Amino acid sequence: MNTRHLAIAIGILAFTLAIAVLGNVLTLGVGSWAIILVGVLTLLVALNTLTRRHGVRDHGTTPDPEHRYRVPAPGAELTDAVDQFRSRRNDLFVPSNRIHAGLREAAIAALTRFQGLTPAAANERVEDGSWTDDPYAAAFLSPSVDPPERSLRERVTDRFVRDVSFRDSVRRTGAAVAAIGYTGLGDGAPDRSESRIATYERDDTEEDEPVPRTTQTPVDGVVERSSRRTGHWFGVGVVALIAISIGTFTESAAVVMAGAVGIAYAGFGHAMEAPTPDISIERTLSEETPEPGDEIGVEVTITNESSRPLPDLRFVDGVPPGLAVSEGTARLGTALRPGESVTLEYTVAARRGRHVFDPALVFTRDLSRSSEKEFLVGSPTSITCEPVLRPITTSVPLRATAATFSGRLTTPEGGSGTQFHSVREYRKNDPLNRIDWNRHARTGELATLEFHEERAARVLVLVDARKANYLAPEPDAAHAVDRSVAAAGRIAATLLEDGDTVGLAAIGPLDKREEDGDDGPVEQCWLGPSSGHHHRAQFQNLLATHPQFSTLAPPKSRRWTPQLEQIYRRLSSDTQIILLTPLCDRVSSDIVQWLDARGYAVTVVSPDPTTDRTTGNQLARVARRIRRFDLQRTGVPVVDWPADQSIDEAFARINAGSGVSSRSGSTAGSTAGTDSRSDAGATTGSGAGTGTEAGGSP
Amino acid sequence: MTTDELTRRPALISSAIAAGGAVLAVVAGGYASPVGLGFGIAGAAFLALGFVRGTNSAIDFGSLLLFGGVLVGGYEGGSVELALLGTVGAVVAWDLGQSAIDLGEQLGREAETTRLEAVHVASSVIVGLLAVTVGYTMYVFAADGQPVAAVALLLAAAGLVTIGLGVRYRRSGELRRGGSQYP
Repeated sequence: MNTRHLAIAIGILAFTLAIAVLGNVLTLGVGSWAIILVGVLTLLVALNTLTRRHGVRDHGTTPDPEHRYRVPAPGAELTDAVDQFRSRRNDLFVPSNRIHAGLREAAIAALTRFQGLTPAAANERVEDGSWTDDPYAAAFLSPSVDPPERSLRERVTDRFVRDVSFRDSVRRTGAAVAAIGYTGLGDGAPDRSESRIATYERDDTEEDEPVPRTTQTPVDGVVERSSRRTGHWFGVGVVALIAISIGTFTESAAVVMAGAVGIAYAGFGHAMEAPTPDISIERTLSEETPEPGDEIGVEVTITNESSRPLPDLRFVDGVPPGLAVSEGTARLGTALRPGESVTLEYTVAARRGRHVFDPALVFTRDLSRSSEKEFLVGSPTSITCEPVLRPITTSVPLRATAATFSGRLTTPEGGSGTQFHSVREYRKNDPLNRIDWNRHARTGELATLEFHEERAARVLVLVDARKANYLAPEPDAAHAVDRSVAAAGRIAATLLEDGDTVGLAAIGPLDKREEDGDDGPVEQCWLGPSSGHHHRAQFQNLLATHPQFSTLAPPKSRRWTPQLEQIYRRLSSDTQIILLTPLCDRVSSDIVQWLDARGYAVTVVSPDPTTDRTTGNQLARVARRIRRFDLQRTGVPVVDWPADQSIDEAFARINAGSGVSSRSGSTAGSTAGTDSRSDAGATTGSGAGTGTEAGGSP
Repeated sequence: MTTDELTRRPALISSAIAAGGAVLAVVAGGYASPVGLGFGIAGAAFLALGFVRGTNSAIDFGSLLLFGGVLVGGYEGGSVELALLGTVGAVVAWDLGQSAIDLGEQLGREAETTRLEAVHVASSVIVGLLAVTVGYTMYVFAADGQPVAAVALLLAAAGLVTIGLGVRYRRSGELRRGGSQYP
């Protein structure tokens, strides 16, 4: 028994008495002072309640499953971007010191790479502040340079707002480093006068980002997630009471009756409870195995399976996080009679990968909308979208290492083939068709023509799908891993068509990111180099369904060395590797060096996810450029693949930029038996040495 | 490839009916009293602001002003019928206004919500009309000469029951409110 029950009990008693008085069963001798007393009391209570109205209202919020899953841009956090330049780690723990040291190394790295200075000279430039024309940046990196006097306003702000001048200096220094790092890029240096705000850590704007999933956990059937009072009618009873009190004071029947109507609404608002829906969801897809880019029509049928009507049903479908709605909306508000069903239609744009629908989010309310329940309704539906293995229009810039089978990769070795290599003295048993008969007719000597040996290449396409590589210039654009996987398919298609043998492997966490039926442990992706139709189909299927190639970022990163060792154990040494990596962190170049050190001929194809919106983004772009540069200097060819180009264009540019394609006799001039690592590496490497864009526009 | 951002603005049908309710309340309040009309117009203006900006408190305040206008009109004009209808109009404007904002925030304007809104409108109006019928019948049959004691007792009864329900409301509100899952 509490206040509430007591109040209601006394209320009912009073009501009974009133009816009795009205029906002349009972006579109470009270004067009009009683009415005034009750009126005043009611008014006080009402006002007290009204003041508490604020914040009572509550309703469930909905996520945005229409949106695609979002990934950060490289350098979203300035500290991380700066850390990429630092050669040593974990030696400084204070963030400001780390930024300081990192920026200093960044400046030196940029100066040595892009202005051809020796490290000592670069260090000196930084010391005396002559490396940049921005006095604040110069002073920030060198204790011997005094910063220019700041304006009074800035000094005053600095007093009150912590870190303003520090942030400003970091921003300016970052921009100055980026300006050096951008030399030679066509799009010009970033405009420093424009105020670009660097974000230090992932800041509050992240909070406003749409949530692209209804839930991450799989759900079977209808599961209640929460229940709440919406406060929809809260206050109406109180206002009505005030009206009745006023009406009683003023003896106005109209005012009292107006209040009475309000009381009726208050009762309505308290009468009901939100129902638990017994509904089923069925999704029909216009196509279950679409090609990337196709529009898939989704038809969701929601049926009320219970015998009770659902007066208020709000439905938000769990569109897969990897897909975006392209037409219509995946939401519906409706009422359902028993056994009735409604249909919701919308269109999603297919993307590569296996996409599983998340559970749908359902809100129910009672007829008066004053209570709300939130449910998740599971209905597993999936779309598997295999990439199209369309060959690239130009050849893949392979390195001149070959297997022992005949094929179309032109090698530096002389032998049988179609392309002239050299002439040598006739030896016994040389085939007749290779004897230089013209010379024999002219001089009577026997000589044998040597052609470039044409052999098949054995290639392993290795996709670097570590967590750190889920990066894109725009939050919902295709991220680097998506692009890498798409390119892997097309590279494989091209090579297979040319008669080469191609394998597939990946480095990256093995966690499953879409909840599927089967719970077996996931093996690292491995498909040994081979050829044929079956192999091609397997390749395509792996790219679409293997968890390592998922379009969703893994929950956490894993160690990469065991995975590389596994690949090393399985891979023969005459196989060359095409590594697809965005080169956006230190580890990516470590991987290249690891493979290079074990004798594999590595070609890096690097989708570029960098952008230049903030100082952090710009620094990340410079860091990537330096990394690419250093790799080329060690002789590893790097194909840079900008976000606005297709892989065809990127390869065409490399093939044109090096003047030769490895398939069209790039080794002309080099003698047989030289180190196979010659053509592409040397060409791009020399380009890098002079500070121009490697493989730049012709 | 993505669709445009969801327009999380008040749903249209509910807003339109709410506007209709507001007009009814303004007419009922302003028919016999210029002060009531003033209240009503101010209330309607706040309601309009609430719909444009999607703010609940503007809807609350606007409807309260509308109701105030109805009361003033009822007091000055003394017409019970107008007061009853005007109250229903004000409450419908408030109820559907809030519903429209909720719907806009949860589902957005693009979503198909006609059936849901039809149910809202129907329930809100029907409850109002039922209350008017019952109240008016009582008024007509007991128009004159009710004993003062009965009025006082009825008032106390209504107050106590409302308080009782209100207490239940607040308790449950605190205990059972499910935290919002999404920012």
